[in-house]
Amino acid sequence: MALARNKMDAPSLSDAARPAPIVSRRPWTWYRLVEGITPYLLIAPLLILIIVFIYWPLIYSFYLSFFDWNFVRPDKTFVGFDNFTRLPNDPRFIRSLRGTFVYFVALVPIQVFLPLLLALLLWPIRKSRAQTSYRIMLFSPTVIAYSVAAVMWLWIFNPLQGVLNKVLAEFGVERINWLSDRDTAIWAIIIVATWKTLGFHLLLYMAALEAVPEDYVEAASLDGASNWQIMRSIRFPLITPTFFFVLVTTVISVNDDVFGAINVLTNGGPFESTTNIIYYLYQQGFQYFQIGAASAVAVIVFLATVLLTWLQFRFVERHVHYG
Amino acid sequence: MVKQTRRSFVGSTAGTLAGAAAATSLGAAIAEAAPAVGVAPVSRRAQDDRQKITFYHIFGTPPGGTPAASPAPMIQVIDAFNAQSTTTFIESQTPSTAYAEVLQKAQADIAAGNAPDLVITPWSNLNYADEGLGVIDLGTVGGDKLEDVLGNLRQEARDIVTKDDRVLGLPWGLSTPIVYYNADVFKQAGVDPETALATWDAFKTDAPKLQEALGGNPVIAFTFNKDWPAQTLVQCNGGRIVNDDGTFGFTSDEAKAAMQMVADLDKDGLYDRSTSQEIRPNFVSGATAVFIASVASLKGLRNDVAFTLGTAPWPTFADKARKASTGGSFIGVYTRDESHYAGIWEFFTFCTSQAGYEIWNQTGYINISTHDFPQLDGQAPAYTQFEEGLIRETNWPGARGLEAQTTWATFVERIWANDISVDEGVSEAESELSAIVG
Repeated sequence: MALARNKMDAPSLSDAARPAPIVSRRPWTWYRLVEGITPYLLIAPLLILIIVFIYWPLIYSFYLSFFDWNFVRPDKTFVGFDNFTRLPNDPRFIRSLRGTFVYFVALVPIQVFLPLLLALLLWPIRKSRAQTSYRIMLFSPTVIAYSVAAVMWLWIFNPLQGVLNKVLAEFGVERINWLSDRDTAIWAIIIVATWKTLGFHLLLYMAALEAVPEDYVEAASLDGASNWQIMRSIRFPLITPTFFFVLVTTVISVNDDVFGAINVLTNGGPFESTTNIIYYLYQQGFQYFQIGAASAVAVIVFLATVLLTWLQFRFVERHVHYG
Repeated sequence: MVKQTRRSFVGSTAGTLAGAAAATSLGAAIAEAAPAVGVAPVSRRAQDDRQKITFYHIFGTPPGGTPAASPAPMIQVIDAFNAQSTTTFIESQTPSTAYAEVLQKAQADIAAGNAPDLVITPWSNLNYADEGLGVIDLGTVGGDKLEDVLGNLRQEARDIVTKDDRVLGLPWGLSTPIVYYNADVFKQAGVDPETALATWDAFKTDAPKLQEALGGNPVIAFTFNKDWPAQTLVQCNGGRIVNDDGTFGFTSDEAKAAMQMVADLDKDGLYDRSTSQEIRPNFVSGATAVFIASVASLKGLRNDVAFTLGTAPWPTFADKARKASTGGSFIGVYTRDESHYAGIWEFFTFCTSQAGYEIWNQTGYINISTHDFPQLDGQAPAYTQFEEGLIRETNWPGARGLEAQTTWATFVERIWANDISVDEGVSEAESELSAIVG
């Protein structure tokens, strides 16, 4: 609009008076070439990595899902949609879906809200040394490898000698087979997965809370707002971008997150009660070498993830305050 | 914002590179110091002009045991071979101590066009090695020198790797499940192990006394993959898991009765339902009293337990004949380079020689060579079962055989832990396995 007005207001010039268009006469030089291609060169390494390790496998998985192949046989047998149509008739796939659903329903709220709650609890002591200790304690599981953590958790959960049963026995609780009872094993996995991922989300929330301008908080305090009102109307709205990020990434990765715990603690057992779709995919692909079937599952996981992410952007993002 | 100058950029880059170099050095140092689990230590890599033969195996530690101060017997065999060969160098790699994971790596490497020359392969995957991985017939590798190697091995072992007149690997680690028991607990409970472990009926009678001595803990545990001990259990009652003609044998009355026996133990709280990672520590720490596992675990268990370790053959069902199954693995040839055949054969010749096999024989596996070596203390039950005749570990048919094996193992776990009745479990297993095997 401003541009249009300026054009209208501009004095009209005759063709003769109009200055000749500026034509660059700078010579084609190495400098200009380097300047032109430098941005592409800078992003090229990352772009190549993304193409090789993300997009190409994605496309190739789609392709492989239509074949029966074991990675080694020179010939791939085209089977059309057989790898997809066989899944609903596979009881192990159905059991894996059930596990996927349980993990999703249990872990998404836990992984999104529990770190938020902890961050808020830690906020008042943010300037004390104790908070640093809490942060270290809560974040350290994130950087501990599952294989290492498994040794500790196996001894905690051991039904005959584990510390958990020993403590519970003091309160008269009978022995619980934490990892070998179908009713408790999945909760043991959820506990370990929560322990593992809690710290990272906590750190994100803490950083977001730090970024909330104190001016707003002070102004609200002067106006007589209570701590709860400040939290509800100022702090939380201003950290919703982080909340939304945590929500989206948790929904995407929640079933990946439990894979490590499943793999090192239960191998999907007992009786496939702790398996999920990612573990089923892993078994098909890398234990049974049914690459076509595994690729079909990967395609389903991909499409489901895209759908869930779209739904979140469609219905949740509108509540996010980007400031 | 800190201003970046050329000097500071160069400085920081140099620092980063120095850090990376330090990390690399640290990695190399760790690799040197690491036990034989994982990628082969640098010192064992080929460092000369000899032809390099890669060998993936699981024997970085004594089977079932913790890393020993001295190299595991397999490593010792390889080192002894490398010390005397002028033309061939065996590069030992232990990607995992689990057979399945070693096979996974091998399969991935074959797919990537970087096939390992030799891979330790479980007997139970013989069909898959043949149909899925393209294992090479030893007749092709050894040619007219085949008998120089196979002549050093007992016929029973050769039979296990022979399929359609092709010898699909070098028989190597032949095991069988045997009974390990905590002799101190038996003594404390006043139970004679010879009597109690002679038959399953006798065991069921005496097990409550053992349980009392254990403070109420379960008494008996079966080794990791439940399909393996289940095979011996069913066979000892006159049944089969998969019949010789490929049909399902686990649906027979004999098989069901054998499975019911463990489910009954579980109902009485005598069976340790713990996970595969938990059952061995439970036994080693004295929390359970009887552990049925591979004879190859003998040395490891002996190293780890603090009580008097006893061994016994499988209990029988009344007066029925004992029919234990084989376990363990053969060395499969997967090389895609024919020029490696001579080196491989030189290694196989050493492995089966008196000198090579004597080193390997320390493990606890059954001596399947024609050489005479004294038995290890506690190994007698395995030889008893061997002389009685072992039945080949179940090879599930079809391209989805590995999946069938895992599926059956899950049903065994469910039945034994009373998650499902024997009849329902067998029926569901038959249905699911039919869909998998076809």
